[in-house]
Amino acid sequence: MKRILVASLFVLFSICGFAAGAGTEAAKSSNDPVLRAMLEELNRSKAKLKLDDVAAPYYIEYSIGDVDEFSAETVFGALRLQNNTHARLLRVVVRVGSYKQDSCFGEGEGTVNIAAVEDDVEALRRQLWLTTDRAYKTAGEALSQKQAALKDKNIEIPVDDFSKASPVESILPLVKLEIDSQAWIEALQAASALYRRDPEVQDFEASLRASATNRYFVNTEGSVVREGKTVFAVRVNGSTQAADGMRLDRDWNWATTRLSELPSRDKFLEQSAKVLTSLKDLREAPVADEDYRGPVLFAPGAAESIVDNLIGRNALGQKPQLGAPARTTGQWSAEYKSRVLPEFLSVRDDPTMTAFKDRTLVGNYAVDDEGVRAQRVSVIEKGKLANYLIGRQPIRDFPESNGHGRAGLGRAPGPESAVLIVESSEPTPAAELKKKLIELARQHDLKYGYFVESMGGRSAPRVLRRVWVSDGHEELVRGGLFGELDTRSVRSDVIAAGDDLEASNRIGAVPQSIINPSLLFDELQVKRLDASKDKLPEYPAPVLQSAP
Amino acid sequence: MISALFRLAVLQFAFNFAGQLASAQAGISQPLLSAMEKELGRAKTELGKRDPAPYFLSYSVTDNELTAVTASEGALLNSRQLRARQADVQTRVGSTKLDNTHDENRSSGIESGLLPLGDDPDATARVLWKLTYEGYRKAQRAFLNVKTQTAVRAKEEDTSADFSEEAAQKSVTGEATPLGVDQKKWEEQARRYSGLLRKYPEVEESYVTLVAQKSTTYFVSTEGSRVVTSSAMIRMVITASTHAEDGMDLMRVETFQATSANKLPSEAEVTKKIEKMAADIQHLRAAPLSEPATVPVLLSGRAAAVFFHEVLGHRLEGHRQRDEQEGQTFTKKVGQPVLPEFLSVADDPTMRVLNGVELAGYYAFDDEGVAASRVELIQSGTLKNFLMSRMPINHFDKSNGHGRSQAGLMETGRQGNLIVSSTRTVKDSEMRQKLIDEIKKQGKAYGLYFEDIQGGFTLTTRFSPQAFQILPVMVWKVYPDGKPDELVRGVDIVGTPLAALNRIVVTGDTQQVFNGICGAESGSVPVSAAAPSMLFSEIEVQKRGHGRMRPPLLPPPGFDKNDKGAKAVGQ
Repeated sequence: MKRILVASLFVLFSICGFAAGAGTEAAKSSNDPVLRAMLEELNRSKAKLKLDDVAAPYYIEYSIGDVDEFSAETVFGALRLQNNTHARLLRVVVRVGSYKQDSCFGEGEGTVNIAAVEDDVEALRRQLWLTTDRAYKTAGEALSQKQAALKDKNIEIPVDDFSKASPVESILPLVKLEIDSQAWIEALQAASALYRRDPEVQDFEASLRASATNRYFVNTEGSVVREGKTVFAVRVNGSTQAADGMRLDRDWNWATTRLSELPSRDKFLEQSAKVLTSLKDLREAPVADEDYRGPVLFAPGAAESIVDNLIGRNALGQKPQLGAPARTTGQWSAEYKSRVLPEFLSVRDDPTMTAFKDRTLVGNYAVDDEGVRAQRVSVIEKGKLANYLIGRQPIRDFPESNGHGRAGLGRAPGPESAVLIVESSEPTPAAELKKKLIELARQHDLKYGYFVESMGGRSAPRVLRRVWVSDGHEELVRGGLFGELDTRSVRSDVIAAGDDLEASNRIGAVPQSIINPSLLFDELQVKRLDASKDKLPEYPAPVLQSAP
Repeated sequence: MISALFRLAVLQFAFNFAGQLASAQAGISQPLLSAMEKELGRAKTELGKRDPAPYFLSYSVTDNELTAVTASEGALLNSRQLRARQADVQTRVGSTKLDNTHDENRSSGIESGLLPLGDDPDATARVLWKLTYEGYRKAQRAFLNVKTQTAVRAKEEDTSADFSEEAAQKSVTGEATPLGVDQKKWEEQARRYSGLLRKYPEVEESYVTLVAQKSTTYFVSTEGSRVVTSSAMIRMVITASTHAEDGMDLMRVETFQATSANKLPSEAEVTKKIEKMAADIQHLRAAPLSEPATVPVLLSGRAAAVFFHEVLGHRLEGHRQRDEQEGQTFTKKVGQPVLPEFLSVADDPTMRVLNGVELAGYYAFDDEGVAASRVELIQSGTLKNFLMSRMPINHFDKSNGHGRSQAGLMETGRQGNLIVSSTRTVKDSEMRQKLIDEIKKQGKAYGLYFEDIQGGFTLTTRFSPQAFQILPVMVWKVYPDGKPDELVRGVDIVGTPLAALNRIVVTGDTQQVFNGICGAESGSVPVSAAAPSMLFSEIEVQKRGHGRMRPPLLPPPGFDKNDKGAKAVGQ
């Protein structure tokens, strides 16, 4: 079960945090027992931690993530799991060596422990003390291992192990989890009970996760950070099989930072009913043709998957394995300053953005998980890769963090996008795009073009429609699969983007938001999915005892 | 090939559980039982029309209610209530003689998933339906494999059937007694107990975990069985650990177990134990390392109980006698002496209490729905029987109610309450003198007294040394000349099972109980072992290998005389 982390409504007030003076911050932090414990133990470790034959640490950081989470899962109208978790994870990084070369390697990347969930300064300090001790000893060994591993490697352009960053003091208000869990369980049960209208549905579930996460961060460079986030997410998902056995899935997700932005009970049931209906529609839809090569239009909700997989991930300045010559681990490691998208597209990442079209963004934060202030970064300018998103581990040509070092709870930070925005300099009105699709199909001598409403995976559309050239009517099909949907096709085959920017919130280990328009490809391959192994159940589902 | 050990789970509870608030009491749910029987009947009829048709299907649903509180250093790390209902569907295709679970395909017999918690029969039936047809597919594929493997492989030494014939059981017992757990009160108690250890700078990590678990298991099979059983158990585990200067990890563990909260020891008793643990930790750190030696050894009753659980109990598990990867120490020794004549060993899951101590290995029906029974494994030193699940072995074609597993895994023969009894006894108070007499008789410089033990493990496979290890914590050197006993650390017992067992000379007169969790192929199950203290004419001990991490460089916060860090804050 993945944990939800979230950007909170309080980040909206982050500007206030900027204004406050450093002196005030220190005073405020001493009132917070968690920060007090962290600072007391950090200062003691900094002053005294030293083994005879290992250098003293040049850098120490403590981070504590406090998560209060409620989740509930229902299936077929009944509660299956309900979970309240309150836990604190602490992570200690001790670096031995220097910014140029240090112990961040293997086990030396950091040490994780469970911390008291209560504000007991002595208990927290004892846990920090033991974890720091272990982290320091491990760092000593890791540095020797790293030096040994580098011995037989010839590195042409050396890059520092750790970048310098100026200290940040930012103490934002704590967040609390507040949700009417019983009312939500009831709504989830009502939603998943809708399966009774369509007994051919094989799975139908509704679930909710709500969390309040408070993160604390201090380091020996003088940074003191506290930031809270809340996230609320609901999901409905179901599956069925067509008469030929093909498995069909549908889901609907909604994530936000504010309880008030969750759908009302009625709206939630309405969305759930739509999922259920679409399962039936999919079941009855014809199968995609064997071969198709032609225009494909992605609605914003479907294009989001392309932006995430083919643009966002390749823009990360993730340093490759020790001694490897590449700049990053992504597919754009050698594309710095080269064209990676059509000229009319530009991409930026702006963690300071709190909302888009009245919807709050989960990717927002004021300070990243390495204690660096969030920055707006221009990633792609007129199709050319201008910047990577980067944390405090430098890569060639990028010696400093641009505030994108982010971490799941208890994990090592790495570069991640926050609020990724794709925009066109020549946006096409959304209605025009459909006309363009038909026009292109006609030019290709095709009877129809494809319109993708949502994606079910990297290259599998979930809701795919044929748009017929003859009269423009749309027809749902199932079992389509994209071939060659890759960085090359995004660079060369996207010919237009809409004016219909939409935001989506994603709640993985690191919460992220993506804002993007419709994208039109002039040529893409659509194949037929091999579903020959999907078999229908050996016997029919049990007959319902009570009526819908 | 699995090592099996007594383990004292501490922090697993903190994060491993897909959690659940107990929103309803886990009483016996009649609608659940009806829904299970109805859906099972439908599966039997419907799948009966297929080829191959399953010859056996069972549904086992475990409704678990758990409260777990963990504290350290006087503050809570975690406190939660969980509830989950897990369903295991077993499918056997082929015939009792040869089916899909044969040999390494055993796991193909089971398909597991979570059931909804309420009594909604429609939702329950749908989830069971899906698990059933998916389980059937798995079993069907595996059976094809089995048939091919049987055709191409050499004939097995043990040609027993794959599943024993057993009479159907019908038993629905009442709900388990309420645990009487007050979570808020427990949290307070966990804080207080864990806070006691904060006084001792030598104690590095320490945890207090309180776990209360109540479960009801519903079992129905196509053979016509219908068994509902309930159980309740509370366990309190306290651990404290440290490092010696040479890097050796040292640990003390205390567990308390009872079927209800009011049977746990008083706060005064627990406090005394905790203070003793802290004192032990201090002494252990200062204790000298033991040297390798072969000397007379006295095991306390609890230590002897663990020794028998590891060395003997695991080797008497039925399935190991037919698995060709196994060492099979005892397979062909039925009717032969394997222990000194004055010793007998039984496994009796039907026993609830021994010498005033509640036994963790009690149960009325095993996890295959077979009634539990007392099994005389060794009588007056002669091997008589094995711990049998429904997997037959040569000459033993029936279960004796020892088929056990944790939810989600296939059962194997396992221990319940292993009881060692002796007819050559002296008073417990005389055992120490017996040890000294033995040391003198052999002209040795010293003997060893194993006072407490943390657990153990054993390797039973053919391709690994037939070894066992128990993890002693408090071991004393006993001198024959009246010199005071000396605590030593880093002692490991080594040796082969048969040889060690036959060096037992005399035993004490009271059986002591070790309650624990035993892990093996079929998962973790609660077990007990009971034995009197025992004198061994000789046991080989070696130095334990250990980590090299030095003790913490700085004193704990609060014990650092010039802790400048604290002052710097807020200035």
